Amino acid sequence: MKTKKAMATRPALKRKVAKASKDDLHVKIADAGNAPEVTTGEGGRYLYGIVEAKEQMTFGKIGIGGAGELVYTVKYLDIAAVVSKTAVYIFDPTRENALAHEHVIETVMKTYTIIPMSFGTVFRTDDDIREVLKSIYASLKDVLTQMAGKLEFGLKVNWDRDQIIEELKQEDEEIRQFHQEIIRKHLQSTYLARMQLGRMIDKAMAERSTQYVREIYEALRSVCVASRDNQPIGDKMIMNAAFLVERKREAEFDGVVNKIARKYGKRLKFKYTGPWPPYNFVNIRLKVERVTAS
Amino acid sequence: MAVERVSGGSSLIDVLDRVLDKGIVIDAWVRISLVGIDLITVEARIVVASIDTYLKYADAVGLTGLVARPQLTAVAEPEIAVETTRRVTRVPKRRTVRRR
Repeated sequence: MKTKKAMATRPALKRKVAKASKDDLHVKIADAGNAPEVTTGEGGRYLYGIVEAKEQMTFGKIGIGGAGELVYTVKYLDIAAVVSKTAVYIFDPTRENALAHEHVIETVMKTYTIIPMSFGTVFRTDDDIREVLKSIYASLKDVLTQMAGKLEFGLKVNWDRDQIIEELKQEDEEIRQFHQEIIRKHLQSTYLARMQLGRMIDKAMAERSTQYVREIYEALRSVCVASRDNQPIGDKMIMNAAFLVERKREAEFDGVVNKIARKYGKRLKFKYTGPWPPYNFVNIRLKVERVTAS
Repeated sequence: MAVERVSGGSSLIDVLDRVLDKGIVIDAWVRISLVGIDLITVEARIVVASIDTYLKYADAVGLTGLVARPQLTAVAEPEIAVETTRRVTRVPKRRTVRRR
């Protein structure tokens, strides 16, 4: 039910969120979505991530579910889970929910190193969460130490295929000659000739993309701790990478990204995002085990 | 051409790309079966099935291994393929199964 009426009842809530977050861009986008189902209730705990913690903390009323639940910590020894109250409910990864999840993590991340939970983890009680923290404590502690003071940045690189093809027709001697030949001589089997030209261009493009990506990695290598290469999405993207950067070298990393972007000018389009928590550098799989089985 | 950095939360695609299956993950069916279960009273415990952290740059694997392969290539280049496989080797890799 996304009626205008339903939307009209929400401004007060929205303003509150805006105040709490100070993140105008984010709020604007969250607002652009439809009115959310408000999920209230005290039955469960939504889990955002794990931090090191000496004391109890709160992060404002920015919890998932649209009710503005307080985000707080559940502590076990010197680590804590970042949670908010929620109904016991399976969250759909809607725009609103996914952004709320991310927004909480980003808020925590301004001050702490957080190991992010993937979307949609709900436990029943604070005690349950303490049980979980207890049973996986050593692993969490280890990962928190490894990720301390580090941030993730995303870098996607797209190119303008048409422009690159034009360039190749001018610059690549082999392709240029062959192309001229097709035009000039009206080769008998034009269709096959064109196929062959297509293959030549494909190959040259693959080489060129490999070269660009290599140059970009090379340039960033000295300013980051680690990198991961994800599968590019679509045929315009030549690079889909994540970089792990020391918090104190953030500005330096920024500088290099900008330098690279300037170098490639209009040929390559950079989509640079972050800071993120280290999603791409931590993978912890949890499972349920029967106590009686061990 | 300067590139502007946008905060993570401003791109839904990038958010979904990360939050759905990265970080600390509990398998979907477990997640669903957890709903309504009181961990303290049932005879079940959440344990670590596996841990991987990725803290290496290209040094150990050679740069070509990190190179994105454009999807349009029909021509296989075995040289790169080999290095790509090597890149997948996770360093340092650790597999932890904890039991009481």
